[in-house]
Amino acid sequence: MWKWIQRQASPKVFYQTCTKLTPWFLLPFIVLGAIGLYWALVVSPADYQQGDGYRIIYIHVPSAIMSMTVYGVMAIAGGIGLIWQIKMAEVVAKVSAPIGAAFTIIALATGAIWGKPMWGTWWVWDARLTSELILLFLYLAYMSLNNAFDNPRTAAKASSILAIVGLVNLPIIHYSVKWWNTLHQGYTVGTGGLKDPDMGIALGIMFLVFVLLYAALVTIKAKTEVLTREQNSRWVKDLVTGERS
Amino acid sequence: MTIVEYFSFLPYGKYAFYVWSAYGIAFITVATLFIRARSNHKQTLINLNSKYSRQDD
Repeated sequence: MWKWIQRQASPKVFYQTCTKLTPWFLLPFIVLGAIGLYWALVVSPADYQQGDGYRIIYIHVPSAIMSMTVYGVMAIAGGIGLIWQIKMAEVVAKVSAPIGAAFTIIALATGAIWGKPMWGTWWVWDARLTSELILLFLYLAYMSLNNAFDNPRTAAKASSILAIVGLVNLPIIHYSVKWWNTLHQGYTVGTGGLKDPDMGIALGIMFLVFVLLYAALVTIKAKTEVLTREQNSRWVKDLVTGERS
Repeated sequence: MTIVEYFSFLPYGKYAFYVWSAYGIAFITVATLFIRARSNHKQTLINLNSKYSRQDD
């Protein structure tokens, strides 16, 4: 296993691995996505307090968890790139940023839509919501900084430092509902908040769907990034001209 | 008639507008991510192809 991981430092091997892995993430994503949506929208019963409005949590909670997880992956990959100078770690960090930003947008938008019928307002400057919004700004800052340099290695170094510094926001988001008196409800997962087993199953499937979505998108986007970075390599030329012929 | 009432013919009644717009936004965002990722990959291959063709000429 360790040897396999080490081999991924080679752009050519990493590209081949991404090509092999994409369908293994994409197909389960489509199948589980259909099952998860069916479970969330049809099988799960209505909540005794929130009625059918609670069904938004099946996309809100997984996207919110993934917005933080992807940021963690991005910062760790950036750190690996900084310390061990592994270019493929820089690639993973760079391609993760827009995906994480999209998850954050989904979490914020669905949270606002859920908030209107439940709280009576789209938005409040509460600790959980504000720290999640800061996470979106961190993603945008990371992407802007990464695009500000012509040299991808310099861009990776600068943006990785920003990503690592921004890690401080993750525990703030997670513990905000404990540390401060917020309008946002407490933890949904692991606190017995989901009374019906079907609710737990639907949420579990949808979480897995979001993990597979992230993995599928990373492999597709990483291939593009590797081709761009390694365009002067012989293997890329052979690969591209091979696809042409 | 408010927009919430207008969409109440859909499943989930008075919550239909909120539930379906949340799922709609998520679907559009995910679809955009996939379409952009695929089109960027294809465009990169086309650009590299023409670059290598120019070099060979």
